[in-house]
Amino acid sequence: MQSSEHILTTFDQALHELRETTLSMAVGAQKNLKNSIDGLLQQDKQLCNQAIADDEDEDQLEILIDNLGMQIIVRFRPVATDLRMVIGAMKTSTNLERISDQAVSIAKRSRKILKNEEIPEIRRIEGLYQVAAAMLADAVTAYSDSNTELALSVIDQQKEIKKTHKKTSRFFSRKLETETAHYRDYLDLVLICRWLDRVGGLATNIAEDIIFEITSSDIRHGGELPPELIDDDTDSSTPH
Amino acid sequence: MHDMSKKITALSKTTKNREASTVIEVDDIGFSYDLGKTETLKGISMEIPKNQVTALIGPSGCGKSTLLRCLNRMNDLIDTAKITRGAIRILGQDIHAAEVDAIELRKQVGMVFQKYNPFPKSIYDNVAYGLRIQGVKKKSILDEAVERSLRNAALWDEAKDRLKDSALGLSGGQQQRLCIARTIAVRPKVILMDEPCSALDPIATAKVEELMLELRKEFTIVIVTHSMQQASRISDRTAFFYLGELVEYASTSHIFTSPSVKQTEDYISGRFG
Repeated sequence: MQSSEHILTTFDQALHELRETTLSMAVGAQKNLKNSIDGLLQQDKQLCNQAIADDEDEDQLEILIDNLGMQIIVRFRPVATDLRMVIGAMKTSTNLERISDQAVSIAKRSRKILKNEEIPEIRRIEGLYQVAAAMLADAVTAYSDSNTELALSVIDQQKEIKKTHKKTSRFFSRKLETETAHYRDYLDLVLICRWLDRVGGLATNIAEDIIFEITSSDIRHGGELPPELIDDDTDSSTPH
Repeated sequence: MHDMSKKITALSKTTKNREASTVIEVDDIGFSYDLGKTETLKGISMEIPKNQVTALIGPSGCGKSTLLRCLNRMNDLIDTAKITRGAIRILGQDIHAAEVDAIELRKQVGMVFQKYNPFPKSIYDNVAYGLRIQGVKKKSILDEAVERSLRNAALWDEAKDRLKDSALGLSGGQQQRLCIARTIAVRPKVILMDEPCSALDPIATAKVEELMLELRKEFTIVIVTHSMQQASRISDRTAFFYLGELVEYASTSHIFTSPSVKQTEDYISGRFG
């Protein structure tokens, strides 16, 4: 709803800075996730190390965003859309920080896997990564463009990531039972599958917060979608 | 039952209990300061519930204070003022009906003003003033009423040892609470407050706000305020006015988190103009 300029230009500047910082953090989280998986698939330990090292930037950005948000609350007492935007940025930063943490976990396991003999089926993880990365990318674009339709599409992709996670994880679990020589690597791959699925879940959280920020409807935990986002032929409750 | 479930149940009961009956019914009211040439209020309709604090907000000149003053016919004192249409009913009674006396109405609908205005009398005499006007002379009744009113106004502890001292010796915040005590001494049904804290420091403001939240248990309160924070802190319902029209009237929580009208959002978030 918010569109016109605030009477205090400093308030608009502070909101702009908060949003820009959150977007920078989102780009960082995407990069870290990509580096961690690329490190595994391209057998590049350096990329894994990069993902681990760059997580520190994400941690600092999370703290910065919390501080910027608190300063805005204290100085300007935002209400309505402005308030939801500040809270949305602070919650999004927490989700992004957790995504970066998943990237660190993936990178650490990937380094372990890289120490051993190459497993040919490792590329099977790529499909799951593509779904998780697409969900994250869509969530970030939806945040950047305040696009509720795109945010909703992230939520809709949950079924796909669950399905892909189950399929990929089951494959590596079976290998774990049969290929005893590489059981540790397959176990690590099962864990990486779980973390990628978690990235999808965190992207969904971001999408839900975007819908709250823009429409003020809280759709978490089965909350109803706002009327403007309900298709006539779909159920109004979210699938989670 | 789990602690959180208990909390949620208690909250829902509180909300249910606070769904009170209507005390003031404003029905398509129009008002003019120049005998009907221009309308300052343009067909306002709203229902003000019992035992709640209702805040009227909006930019200067929007009509919120005019409406407040219509509720106890304070505008009757202006020669060229005129109700151009509609009706105001308090507890079902049309306040402009021929049989309604404005002075009697103001006993039922008390008012606290922006600038605290105690009489140049003692603290005791200020609180007892309204009752004496009503003909109460018995000292024990007056004593009891003064103590009860000062206690209700959270001023008893500060004033009990100086009841015979001049009210003008009290601090600003104390003088405003004394004015509230004076208002509630005659047991009105409704208390109107016109920016009651605008001349007070933050501590005195907090005390008056705390007092309002306590008083709503017994009285229905309507407050005009320019402070968005004050409206969001103390009121149950908020009405936003602009250019003599009621733009949005809803629960305070709704108005300050997800207003339905863009004009309301722009005003409360400072994007107005």
